[in-house]
Amino acid sequence: MTKTKTKLIALMGASTLGMLMTASAVQAQQSGYLSILVDNGPQSIATMEAWAEAYKAMNPDVTIDIEVRPGGGEGDNIVKTRLATGAMADVFSYNSGSLFQAINPTQNLLPLTNEAFQDGVQDSFKSVVSAGGEVYGAPFAPAMGGGIFYNKPIYEELGLEIPTTWDEFMANNEAIKEAGKVAVIQTYADTWTSQLFVLSDFYNVLAEEPDFAEKFTANEAKFAATPAALRGFEKLQEVAEAGYFNADFGAATYADGVRMIAMGEGAHYPMLTFAVGAIAETAPDYLDDVGFFAQPGDSAENNGLTTWMPDSVYVAANTASPDLAKDFVAFIASPEGCDIRNEAVGATGPYMVAGCELPADVPPSVSDMLPYFQEGGQNAPALEFLSPVKGPALEQILVEVGTGSRDAASAAALYDEDVRKQAQQLGLEGW
Amino acid sequence: MKKRTSILGGAAAIAATFVVFVIPFIFIILMAFKDRQQSALRDFSWPTGFHFWENVVEVVKTRNWMMITAFINSSIITVVSVTLLVIFAAMVGYVLARRKTRWNGLIEFLVLAGLMVPPAVVPTIWLLQGLKLFGTLHGMILIEVAYNLPFSIILYRAFVATIPRDLDEAAIIDGARPLDVFFRVVLPLLWPVTVTNIVVQSVGIFNDFTNPLYYLPGNANATVQLTLYNFQSQFSTAYNLLFTNILLITIPPLLVFMFFNRQIVAGMTAGAVKG
Repeated sequence: MTKTKTKLIALMGASTLGMLMTASAVQAQQSGYLSILVDNGPQSIATMEAWAEAYKAMNPDVTIDIEVRPGGGEGDNIVKTRLATGAMADVFSYNSGSLFQAINPTQNLLPLTNEAFQDGVQDSFKSVVSAGGEVYGAPFAPAMGGGIFYNKPIYEELGLEIPTTWDEFMANNEAIKEAGKVAVIQTYADTWTSQLFVLSDFYNVLAEEPDFAEKFTANEAKFAATPAALRGFEKLQEVAEAGYFNADFGAATYADGVRMIAMGEGAHYPMLTFAVGAIAETAPDYLDDVGFFAQPGDSAENNGLTTWMPDSVYVAANTASPDLAKDFVAFIASPEGCDIRNEAVGATGPYMVAGCELPADVPPSVSDMLPYFQEGGQNAPALEFLSPVKGPALEQILVEVGTGSRDAASAAALYDEDVRKQAQQLGLEGW
Repeated sequence: MKKRTSILGGAAAIAATFVVFVIPFIFIILMAFKDRQQSALRDFSWPTGFHFWENVVEVVKTRNWMMITAFINSSIITVVSVTLLVIFAAMVGYVLARRKTRWNGLIEFLVLAGLMVPPAVVPTIWLLQGLKLFGTLHGMILIEVAYNLPFSIILYRAFVATIPRDLDEAAIIDGARPLDVFFRVVLPLLWPVTVTNIVVQSVGIFNDFTNPLYYLPGNANATVQLTLYNFQSQFSTAYNLLFTNILLITIPPLLVFMFFNRQIVAGMTAGAVKG
């Protein structure tokens, strides 16, 4: 009896040894459990699932559990609550820029500064996921641009050219209105969509006032007192006063706007390029009908795009498996990761990682955006990536301008006042 | 003459009910039959094609059959926490109404405080983590019981006052022990208000959204209301699937309501006599 037992134990010992040996033979592979928290945008989920599948195929001993959270303010609360209680998933996606600064990165996140993959990540992205001298994130999606979507069939029908100055843009609008069509789509049921004329104008602001962001943060420059910055507000006022909007602009939603620009119910829709994804989902047959151009400034030579940095993936500081989490993030930020994303949800913009290629058959709204990022093209980050100061009431103020109940100058002055409160909360110097 | 006005009033009431309750429900059903492109219009129109079954399959299969897990979890949470609520609230309400001590004022103040003071999320999570209950179904059940207990106690306390004391005394004289008095004499008499409690609390807990969102993280812990987030996001919403999902998760509360309908009305009026 005892003999069999000893034998059994010896056998078990031998088999364990055997298992250990096989394990060491494939040491390059990762193993373990990884939890991921991702926002519930269809593209985010599809991309993350594709990444997880590919990663599991390469590392069969890894199990990955993807959990979904809401976006917007509710999502902010969830991320902050789970970080504060130490219940955060190992890897999670979240905004870069000013919202990233608000989740206390130095305390809650694992620094990724010295990871090898960071060599391939563009510096402009690193700057918006850095705090206290450390880099914490890797790009989760391609870069975005803020500008104006246009409906190609309408442009062809009326023989219009892509405008490079604001005057040309207004002339196009006039021609479209005369043809009995909606020139500019506005969707104020989702108030955030009202901000695009002002936010996407920031390239033109920087072209005239290169140090506006620093001065703005230091309370030395004001929207109302800087003619170049005031232009964004004035542009919205001009478009509104000329009566170019769709009839239901006060009640239309972002989803309506996406549908209208795709199906030719309107000619222009100022929006961020992530709307390409929404068009691909709600109106896939019309994807090739939508083009994109940067918001024109006052001079044709200096025509450039205001860009938005993508969300980022982070590793929670208290993760149980930091090596696995870092390896997975490195996989996301590799050219292979980009290819998987292209396949899963299609290309929505240029990648922030060196070596990432876009497929040849990108939709026109994406290919229209690429020249701004290539050699000789001109682009500049949006104000929210250069300054932590962004007033919470900008969208409401701009709805007032768009509906004609406030003029541009007083709106800009009101926004300067709105910004003051937020700057004081952040404890910035000079406010 | 009087009869005619009452008929008119009845017709008006039916029309109002139709507008407030039935039309939204018809809208949900119509949306559940549409495809993604038509549903993006969000108008009150007849579906152009019959997509109901593919929508249902899609909704149930999404995210690895999350809907099934969610229904199981929500059912467990609802049934267990409503059972606990009914037992505990009836006991507290009975004692509070029957036994007058100098602590009554303080206890009633604490019950009211439980109704009025909003619970803070982060400290509650710390407490749950300390008790090793965070992210578990039984932790969630305890939270639902704690948050909803004050309301149930108040309902029961008001109702116990309408039961004559003589019944308790008769039972005691017949030799019933205190627990017998409660479980065999008083609790059955509380049936009308118990039904009210069961319906109100189970609909509330089944439809609870924020508490599971914060206290019950993890895919294995999904509850039905959280499945809505599978189809609705900040910048993109699949309205056909969202409304199919709403339709599916509306069915259980609807069934509860249909079965208990008569008792609910009886229970509400019974509780309203004396407060």
